[in-house]
Amino acid sequence: MEETKFETNGVEDFAVREHRSLWIDAWRRLIANRTAMVGLIVVVLFLLSATFAHFFWDYEPKSDLDYGAKLLPPQLIATEEVDVHLFGTDKLGRDIFRRTIHGGWNSLRVGLVAVSISLLIGGILGLLTGFFESIHMNFWESFILMTLLGFALGMLPAWITRQFFQAILFALIGAGSVVFDRYLNGKKKHRLYIFPAVGAILSALSGLMIGPLVALVCGIVGLLIGFFLSKPVGGELFSNIVMRIMDIILSFPSYLLAIAIVAFLGPGLEKGMIAIGVVGIPVYARLARSAVMSVTQKEYVLASHAVGESHSRMLFRHVLPNILSPIIVQATMGLANAILSAAALGFLGLGAIPPEPEWGAMLGDSYKYLSSGAWWAVLFPGLAIMLSVLGFNLLGDGLRDALDPKIRL
Amino acid sequence: MGRYILRRLLSVVPTLIGVTLVIFLFQRLIPGDPAVAMLGEHATEENIARIREQFGLDRPAFLDRDALAEGDLAGFFDSQYSRYFGRLIRFDLGESIHRRIPVADTLRERFPATLELSLLSMFIALLIGIPAGIASASRRNTALDGVTMVGSLIGVSMPIFWLGIMEIMLFSVFLKWLPTGGRLPTGVEIQSITNLLLLDSLLTGNFTGFVAALKHIILPAVALATIPAAIITRMTRSSMLDVLQEDYIRTATAKGLSLKIVLFRHALKNAFLPVITIIGLQAGTLLAGAVLTETIFSWPGIGKWVYDSILGRDYPIVQGVTLLIAIIFLFINLVVDLSYAILDPRISLE
Repeated sequence: MEETKFETNGVEDFAVREHRSLWIDAWRRLIANRTAMVGLIVVVLFLLSATFAHFFWDYEPKSDLDYGAKLLPPQLIATEEVDVHLFGTDKLGRDIFRRTIHGGWNSLRVGLVAVSISLLIGGILGLLTGFFESIHMNFWESFILMTLLGFALGMLPAWITRQFFQAILFALIGAGSVVFDRYLNGKKKHRLYIFPAVGAILSALSGLMIGPLVALVCGIVGLLIGFFLSKPVGGELFSNIVMRIMDIILSFPSYLLAIAIVAFLGPGLEKGMIAIGVVGIPVYARLARSAVMSVTQKEYVLASHAVGESHSRMLFRHVLPNILSPIIVQATMGLANAILSAAALGFLGLGAIPPEPEWGAMLGDSYKYLSSGAWWAVLFPGLAIMLSVLGFNLLGDGLRDALDPKIRL
Repeated sequence: MGRYILRRLLSVVPTLIGVTLVIFLFQRLIPGDPAVAMLGEHATEENIARIREQFGLDRPAFLDRDALAEGDLAGFFDSQYSRYFGRLIRFDLGESIHRRIPVADTLRERFPATLELSLLSMFIALLIGIPAGIASASRRNTALDGVTMVGSLIGVSMPIFWLGIMEIMLFSVFLKWLPTGGRLPTGVEIQSITNLLLLDSLLTGNFTGFVAALKHIILPAVALATIPAAIITRMTRSSMLDVLQEDYIRTATAKGLSLKIVLFRHALKNAFLPVITIIGLQAGTLLAGAVLTETIFSWPGIGKWVYDSILGRDYPIVQGVTLLIAIIFLFINLVVDLSYAILDPRISLE
């Protein structure tokens, strides 16, 4: 064997530039971008005003009423009769400026909670499906997946017969299938008979304790589940199942689904947050999955695979850091979307419950006395929605350019 | 390609079943006793019984294990969901709780109004979005490009219900140029053929009717078109930019073709594929946006109807309309995918 010699001469010349991390580089690109800076400033202003108002500016929406000052146009200087009302007052004489600033807190809350829900659930789903679609599961991962799958499927006969042990039975069959696959090679043809037969017979026998028809149904169900479990489910099938479920959620226009969910749950800001969050899950799942799949093709992941690094280390050290940028961009824009959807829910009377100050609900309220010509009651809450949404969108757009100069949309 | 089309068509079936499942599960989200929630506290026993019957609320949700234990196989499958699904197959969407009219009938009656509004909005969105996107891409990094991009971001960030209210404020309340809502003023009649008023009035040569209908539809249509227009602009631009970097564009420019020919004959055709997908996706946005826009402009379509039904807790209507919109959305995306396969032969080879 010939020995390989590494030559280092000349390399140092390229390393003159000071070391900068990817994030510092991105930050420099971001602040160099004028529109992104506008977005950042708007977002920071929004965050500051909302939090400060919530913690340091008392406001009691329930007792805020002043019929003497109703529907006053914006008043910048205080006079004898009228206080300062920067944005005017609404039909109940409430100061719109104050309510708008306080409404920011609600929008911020909705945005953060909704995006966290979609990001966490969608991100984890996307990470796992994408990873195992490109990289084979090892024994223990396959073991856990099949046991859980067996347990989940076994819930059906367990429910029918009210016998909980059936779920455990099928969990064991799932686990057995993995063990069979790993240690009992050479009999691969047999598993097509063994597992369905075991499932059918055991399930039918325990079903017989209830009645003959139950035994029959359990037998058929057990046969099918056994057949499904007879070969360990690979990452691809797992990913297919998850993505099919995501497709179902995606086949509803997103905020129509949120509206429908809240329509059935009943109005409330918290319910709105959850609905908007759930509706957003598939977006992150798809994004994370495709990002993971492209990263796992990269040489550094293949190399770490080749040297035998554990899957969790590969996932957290190599894959996760490299899919962060598209996710951060999506989350920023997701905040914009969540704020917009929450305002739409509020406008339809499905969000925050009055008199809680919320931008959408304020608009929905002022819309009712539109013909009085009180333009200020309409203009300012809407402007607040638009500006904060625009701020997050501008920032997201700038982040996309800053984090990955190659892509643009 | 035939196999691809077949596979894509078949893939709709499980999704469709999943969609019905989701919509069925909606009614289980209702807190408390659904029958009481639907009718309110003061409902009569008879009405509650009727709702229970109509929704099969006395049956289990999916499967009846007790019936099975008693040896009743048919009873095992007789559940709320199987009944719901069985009705759906017969195009029976249930009936309105309050008015006791079949949901499907009202749907048929109100859908053309929404369709007309959505079609006009899509037309406006394309009319603005595609030229703006092309212009912006062909003059990249100029002032025009900057203005278009910022403008489209503002469009994406626009709460359309606010835009609608501001439109009414300006054009109806202050300027008094246009009506605040509705589809037609009283006294104007348009003979119905397709129930799309603009089309019908043109077909029957009813000019006053056309102008009246146009005056009513223009404000909601513009509000509804804002977001799709902005998104189509961005997509057209980015897709054009991708294509303009291709070698064949450089070849075309190098051999001395004019910018116009390069842009429209060489670039646009290839840049259009991703744009079609976005147009398909925007169709869903339009139908969903109709709930807000129609509410503001008292437009007698399905969106306003859903809003009224949400307020009146008339759940079958909300379920029916959501189902209809999801199915339409699903099929538009199916058509988009299929047209993709026809337009781009590479896809069906995969």
